[in-house]
Amino acid sequence: MNKVTSIVAAGTAVFLMQAATSTAAMAQDKASTLQQVKDRGYLSCVIGNSFPGFYSLDKDGEWQGMDIDMCRGVAAAVFGDPTKVKFMPVQWAQSFTTIKSGEGDMLSKGMTWTLSRDTSQGLDFLETYFYDGQGFMVRKDLGVNSVKDLKGATVCVLTGTSSELNLADYSRTHGLDLKTVVFDDSAVRNTAFFNENCDALTNDKSGLAAQRSAAPNPDDYIVLPETISKEALSFAVTQNDSEWANIVKWTFETMVAAEEYGITSKNVDDLRANSENPVIRRILGVEGDLNTGLGLSPDWAYQVVKAVGNYGEIYERNVGTNSVLGLERKGTLNALWQDGGLMYAKSFR
Amino acid sequence: MNNDAGLKQFVAKPARVPPHNDQSLVRRIHSRCFNTPGNSVLTIAVIILAWYIIRSALDWAVFDAMWNADTRRECLNISPNGACWAGVISWFNGLIYGRYPADQQWRVDLGFILAVMWLFPLMSKKIAYRNFILVSWIGLYPFFGAYLFLGGEFGAEVGIIHALFTSLAAGFFILLYANWLLAALNQPDLCERVRPLVAWLFPRGIQVICLLVVWGALSLPVALILSQMALEPVAIERWGGLFLTLIIATFAITMSIPIGVVLALGRQSKLPVIHWMSLLTIELVRAVPLITVLFMAVTLLPIFLPSDMELDKLSQVLFAVCIFSGAYMAENIRGGLQAIPRGQYEAAQSLGLGYSMTMLLIVLPQALRLMIPNIMTSFISILKDTTLVSIIGLFDIMLMARNIANDKDWIGLHTEPIAMISILFFIICYSMSQYSLNLEKRLKADRS
Repeated sequence: MNKVTSIVAAGTAVFLMQAATSTAAMAQDKASTLQQVKDRGYLSCVIGNSFPGFYSLDKDGEWQGMDIDMCRGVAAAVFGDPTKVKFMPVQWAQSFTTIKSGEGDMLSKGMTWTLSRDTSQGLDFLETYFYDGQGFMVRKDLGVNSVKDLKGATVCVLTGTSSELNLADYSRTHGLDLKTVVFDDSAVRNTAFFNENCDALTNDKSGLAAQRSAAPNPDDYIVLPETISKEALSFAVTQNDSEWANIVKWTFETMVAAEEYGITSKNVDDLRANSENPVIRRILGVEGDLNTGLGLSPDWAYQVVKAVGNYGEIYERNVGTNSVLGLERKGTLNALWQDGGLMYAKSFR
Repeated sequence: MNNDAGLKQFVAKPARVPPHNDQSLVRRIHSRCFNTPGNSVLTIAVIILAWYIIRSALDWAVFDAMWNADTRRECLNISPNGACWAGVISWFNGLIYGRYPADQQWRVDLGFILAVMWLFPLMSKKIAYRNFILVSWIGLYPFFGAYLFLGGEFGAEVGIIHALFTSLAAGFFILLYANWLLAALNQPDLCERVRPLVAWLFPRGIQVICLLVVWGALSLPVALILSQMALEPVAIERWGGLFLTLIIATFAITMSIPIGVVLALGRQSKLPVIHWMSLLTIELVRAVPLITVLFMAVTLLPIFLPSDMELDKLSQVLFAVCIFSGAYMAENIRGGLQAIPRGQYEAAQSLGLGYSMTMLLIVLPQALRLMIPNIMTSFISILKDTTLVSIIGLFDIMLMARNIANDKDWIGLHTEPIAMISILFFIICYSMSQYSLNLEKRLKADRS
């Protein structure tokens, strides 16, 4: 009996000692994110569990979507290889801590840029890659053409989301007296809506597009024109690391600039060899030394466009009219500035 | 004998015919289901309800179902009210292997087949070191399996100690099958064959050294062969589906018994420190839901560990699930321990057995045997509980099933995947419970 006890006691003591020393060793300062990424050999990109068009798995287990392409672009800029990225699907609540702890290098999960998130979560928001906003979907046979006609209607909404709060605000300011039916799970909410348990479904418009395409008969439903909130889906990185923030920021600028100057993943090789346009030559690293300040190789922007294409290509591939979401880009905020949108690349000089 | 005329003799009357001996089906149904008006109404109501439910279920799942389609839209256009099994079929590999690369999935199959084959020799009673088979399955197979599933250059990526154990595991597997074959042919096993040589070299411990010599001799060539091969590395984050579910469940199930035994014995101990520590562990872990244990393991464990030691999410989850199932198992085993009469302990003591021997040889075998139904219930609930790991982002079968609904081709396909994995779970859990019934019968038979 004594032998067993002493072994157990010794084991416990060793375990406790180890625990004590390890907590002491915790206090260590962090290296810069770029260095961490290079040492690790891959980019660690924080995404959500899955959302059609933005980040979802295909049947071969590969990630695809707009956020995925953005992360692949950053990996291409850093490593010249878009496959050197690992995606970390995390819960909403964990996303901030994953970035703060350095486990994730960048956050690209359709997160809305808000003041409180920018200031009190230890994050820096960088660039808005998709302008979204909350809207309503209704059955066509209701004969409703505007949210104003929904007076007294019941609305299905996910509980605990900003959609729920926006809905309450909008209902109050416009005196609509909307009744909410709250759900915990989006699948259940959608089923309830399609089974006519509520008159309208509210969500971000990109989400509504996904839900509409999942309907038994999509043509029976319309998305109302009003947009009742501002959802600027943006990248975020850890606070106070400008070196790393610059890389993510300018990778995105490259995608937008490439579209503006007509560089696509198909003609990028040709333009790199033959283009006389000084801007294109600077972007693709043929002349100038724009890469030195970023700490990347001269062909970093070429690699980005080569790997994932320009912004327009990414948009059309994942959420555009021919994709499952079928979102028209023309005339929306996501169009280029010359087409009346907000996508405006800064100067490559 | 019957000479006395006046004596009355007992003559048995012929046996009466049992009432309503007619056991025809109609009569049975009548007497059981329609014997009173109330029962008749109930029977008819139940039949109508069952007919309604079964018919609509069959309509949905079989008659109106689509087995062949490229997208969910195609399913809906052709048969809007039927199940769209085509989506589940196209994702079937994803449900089974998760995100494991398609051209490497044979490794998962091979690992699974080897794990099952490892246990086959248990059927033979003639084989030597029979008890060691189960121990090796728990202690050695995981190294081999981990190498097979992780891949990478042998010894370089997995570490030299891991490589050593992998070779030992493979060597043991060959040894096991060689011995099984020899035992079936009634030949002396490999250990017996080298015995003269070993006996000539070593004066003592011949039995053990024989085994080690043969084992080592088999492991060495395996190590040489393995070191020449390089499997394509597959990161843990790509493990998923039923494969991952089974890894977590098997790990938790095999670890829960030793952890449970230690905690149960600790709780019964008369030494206050051990008693209270076991009690605290059991009660603390049992008093919180599994999901919180999982969250704590994922968020708190990295803080307790040295910062240079990076644990992947799977190890954290395995740790949490083991502790959790161990605590529950401890209470099952304690129940078994309490059912052992005091006389057994005293008898063991009078034979001169110490504490560990008493427990190992006398008490635990009886306690565990008594508790087989409870232990099996725990196993089944562990297996089902592992689906919770989907919440912390491990791509187990549950999360893979939920991802189908977000695939652009199968957008909105929720019900069919869930129905599919319910069927899979039913098959696995039902076979487990049948096996436990079988085990109970066999062990009872041995005893009497």
